Amino acid sequence: MLPESPFCTAAQIAEQWKKNVAGLQEYQVIRDGSVFRAHLADSFLFHSEYQKALRLREELLERYKGKELDEVLPGEEVETSWGTTFALSTTLPCDPVKRVSIDGKELFSDLTMVRGIGAATARHLKGRGYQTVKDLLHHPRFRTGAAHLIERVQSGDPYAIQECIETRYPKSHPRVLEVSRFIEPSNFLFIDIETLGIFSRPIILLGIGRLIKGQTVIQQFLLRDPAEEPAAIAATLSALNEEGSAVVTFNGKSFDLPYIRDRAAFYGASVREKIPHFDLLHFSRRTFRGMYANYRLTTLERHLFGLERSGDVPSQLVPEFYEAYLTSGNPGPLIPIIEHNRQDVLSLIRLYHRLIGDVA
Amino acid sequence: MTVTSLLQILMQDKQYRDRIAHVEVLPEREGSFASLSPELPEELASYLAARHIRLYSHQCRAVEAIREGENILLTTATASGKTLGFMVPVFEQLIQDQDATALFLYPTKALSNDQLKAAKEIEAYTGAGTDAAIYDGDTPQARRSAIRGHSRLIITNPYELHQVLPWHHKWAGFFRHLRIIVVDEAHRYRGIMGSHIALLLRRLQRLCRFYGSSPRFILASATLANPEEFARHLIGMDFTVITGDGSPRGRKYFVLYNPFFDGNGSRSTHQETKGVFLAGLDHGLQTLCFTSSRRLAELIARWSREELERSHPGWDNAVVSYRAGYLPDERRAIEDRVKEGVVRGVVSTNALELGVDIGSLDAVILSGFPGTLLSTWQQAGRAGRRGGDSVAVMVGFQNPLDQYFMHHPATFFSRTMEHAIIDETNPYVLAGHLLCAAAELPFVVERDSPFFGESSETVLRSFEACNLVRRTPHGWIYAGRGRAADAVKLGSLTSETFKVVCNGRVLETMDRSQAFREGHRGAILLHGGETFLVTELDLEGHLIRVKEMDVEYYTEPIKTVDLTVSRVIQQVCRSDVPLRFGEVEVSEQYTGYRIIRGGSVIGYESLELPPLQFTTKAFWFEIPDRIMDAMEYAGDTAGGLHGAEHAIIGMMPLHVLCDRWDIGGLSTPCFAATGQPTVFVYDGHEGGIGLAEKGYTLFGPLIRTSYELVRDCSCTSGCPSCIFSPKCGNDNRPLDKNSTHILLREMNAVLEDRNAQHS
Repeated sequence: MLPESPFCTAAQIAEQWKKNVAGLQEYQVIRDGSVFRAHLADSFLFHSEYQKALRLREELLERYKGKELDEVLPGEEVETSWGTTFALSTTLPCDPVKRVSIDGKELFSDLTMVRGIGAATARHLKGRGYQTVKDLLHHPRFRTGAAHLIERVQSGDPYAIQECIETRYPKSHPRVLEVSRFIEPSNFLFIDIETLGIFSRPIILLGIGRLIKGQTVIQQFLLRDPAEEPAAIAATLSALNEEGSAVVTFNGKSFDLPYIRDRAAFYGASVREKIPHFDLLHFSRRTFRGMYANYRLTTLERHLFGLERSGDVPSQLVPEFYEAYLTSGNPGPLIPIIEHNRQDVLSLIRLYHRLIGDVA
Repeated sequence: MTVTSLLQILMQDKQYRDRIAHVEVLPEREGSFASLSPELPEELASYLAARHIRLYSHQCRAVEAIREGENILLTTATASGKTLGFMVPVFEQLIQDQDATALFLYPTKALSNDQLKAAKEIEAYTGAGTDAAIYDGDTPQARRSAIRGHSRLIITNPYELHQVLPWHHKWAGFFRHLRIIVVDEAHRYRGIMGSHIALLLRRLQRLCRFYGSSPRFILASATLANPEEFARHLIGMDFTVITGDGSPRGRKYFVLYNPFFDGNGSRSTHQETKGVFLAGLDHGLQTLCFTSSRRLAELIARWSREELERSHPGWDNAVVSYRAGYLPDERRAIEDRVKEGVVRGVVSTNALELGVDIGSLDAVILSGFPGTLLSTWQQAGRAGRRGGDSVAVMVGFQNPLDQYFMHHPATFFSRTMEHAIIDETNPYVLAGHLLCAAAELPFVVERDSPFFGESSETVLRSFEACNLVRRTPHGWIYAGRGRAADAVKLGSLTSETFKVVCNGRVLETMDRSQAFREGHRGAILLHGGETFLVTELDLEGHLIRVKEMDVEYYTEPIKTVDLTVSRVIQQVCRSDVPLRFGEVEVSEQYTGYRIIRGGSVIGYESLELPPLQFTTKAFWFEIPDRIMDAMEYAGDTAGGLHGAEHAIIGMMPLHVLCDRWDIGGLSTPCFAATGQPTVFVYDGHEGGIGLAEKGYTLFGPLIRTSYELVRDCSCTSGCPSCIFSPKCGNDNRPLDKNSTHILLREMNAVLEDRNAQHS
């Protein structure tokens, strides 16, 4: 009889599951220009994009053969309560912006901000001498609503103000974005993440942009191994859970923030509930409606800032590039992921300034 | 009453009397009621009072056990108030603790809907405020969050639960207060499905513990031989089994009817079934007939209508056929007409034994043994009205199990049910659910391996080696690229599935071994009672292309089996017969198929398919020289070994609940590794599903019943009733009944002797 060899069997089983998992495709590669099929698929890549990306991966594996990660990526180790994470920092001069401050006056001149007042009622009230919300404090019917609003705005709590506006205006209304003026620029966290898939898998890179003393500082927490996820999450949470912080993302209301919350919960931690969040995708849809082919960030940056990315990895292929790094130990395939993420954060910052109109 | 006059005819008329193998009288029984102390909450008590319901003794025991914090398994007969048996304890908990929640797991949507109706009725009367709701694939996205947030009684199915668990943080409130989990129709979760559900429920329990709850389980199942063992494997905890049935019952006659009493049979089984069915109608009995296929149901209904038109003009609408695929409204219309008595006879496929809501009838006819005693009693349970006599007739087919019962009625009626087997340690299934678990919460070995077994860490280490999981200070986490829950398909071993496609429409899916067996080129495939010809098996594309075709023939695959032993897990020597249980590598090669019409082979076609290779569990025994010598004297030894293999496999379903495709066998006069004559019986699924292991422990009874089958069959040289197997890959060659008889007789003597020594 053969000796007992549970390890061998377990390894075979693991390989079988590896194949099963690899067989799960979350995107489709479709023939170039096949617009009809593009509409059918949830997530797709055109064949030429796919081929180009595969070539890129091969080139990178070749170019960085034998190189160690820290030779190629100049980062530093950061200690967190959940272990060590690897952080890459980039500091750039900030685009010149002229910042308009806000004190709530503008909000108060808009009577429709008070519950129960539509455009017609507002006109009627203005005709009768109620010019601002403050005047309504003497109005028998709208007194309570006005007091509620004034209290919220004077509290200066951007989350509360945002909530107020969102009950009166669509969430993509510029007035919602205006609330960000209540926030100190240094409190903004411009966030973009790269993951191993759509939910319930590790985040492999967390990029956070900040505006500090006229400079743009981008910090990227990279998982050199998926085992470093708790540490990267801990580093991100300490920024997110800081008093006064506010988040700016692109599609982050549906993706980035719920994903971070999900992964934090996975490790038994949580993200502050009432965190002001400005998802620029929604404001962009409203502002640039019908102007460009789609509302992808890369499309917007091309039209708005004349940016053309080269050597970029399509988001759908990020997991496969990362997996190539994991299996080979070759840092090459990480480079476009990091660059892609950094560019996303930079464009996010520029887009924010463009949307709010603070461009010098 | 008319039941007795039907029996009289059956016993006396020469058309029937020889065919009556046995009549068992199951005596009537008074209802046994009980009361509870302390009493039920007022709302619940007044609900029962308003419905004129007194709780039976077994229902009261269920309430008491749940009050004591025990897990319970209810195994009571059809129409014994099972639903109320768990609804009352659940509602008591939900009324007493306004935060408490309960989760109900149902295998099908139709059953979920029935249950929701029952829950809503109690809720409406008692004002329990549970917002009972179904949460499954049909639940609109917009409703989901509200159900998670407000409902305290949620009904779902295993497939949905599997998708829900990764999103557990959205369910935090519900899980935190989860008090009771009801798993109805639990006996359906056996075999591979059982392994999956057992591990799915381990994942659920682990999450509940994370949220600080430790829910109790109420399982409801058909009667089983091993209820405690079954429940322990399915849930991983100890159970109180509530078996007694306090509901009242009228007298019932159970008739075994054997068209093959003379070994030949003069008419087809279907004609015989129709004859008994019409006799029932003729005596004014409302009769339900269960058949093995939809086509047969339609056929028997049609024949009966034709005959009734002649004998009872105006009765042509009195017989209906009832099958899967009816829309809910059509179904309800039929059910109502049966309840009103307009319809006198129903012919139904046995797939519907559980979904039918037509109340109880006077007579039930089972066309053939339904495959398990469990189904037999569930179907027979359809006959029986309170305070009146009823009759069940089982028409025997010409196959080993049916004929065994016809010849051994005492065994049939005294037998406890089959063992329902769950192997929650199947390494493939376990590995898949470990991936899911590690994606739901970090897997901490010391904390979580009690749920998943000792081998968890070994499996996780192997996953680490191929980058599917990683070890973090928080525990093992899933680090694969695809979603873990998507890789695990409940009810199958791997996510590899073949689609059966007809004109671009997907009829069904098959796993690899099923595709090789039933979906090879040229195979005739039955689906929903229709026949299809397989035109192509595309292994690369995982497609089986078929076209609809009305054919008069069917096909049977021919295969060769090769087997090597990789390790022995347990062994025992019974006198001079070594019996072993262990891990084996099986290689099955499908080499061709036979084309069969009217019972005779009209052609062979060859196939070129790669071999199917898998690791599984088997039990096997070696035959000592003295028995081989006796067999040689009586006939052909190879034919004897082969015949015994068939008889044993044929008897396996008598002891454990399994499908004929779940087990395979190999017999050889000279096993390559040892040179010994050996008979192997193995689990037909990768990793094993616990059948061979049970066969090893039940070896004595298994050999005894196989011996009795062969000894008592009236044929001379083997027939489909004893050692011929419809699934034999060798065309039932060689077979030698005399030699088989000797082998089984000697084996049985060895085992009984051994048993005697022990006792």
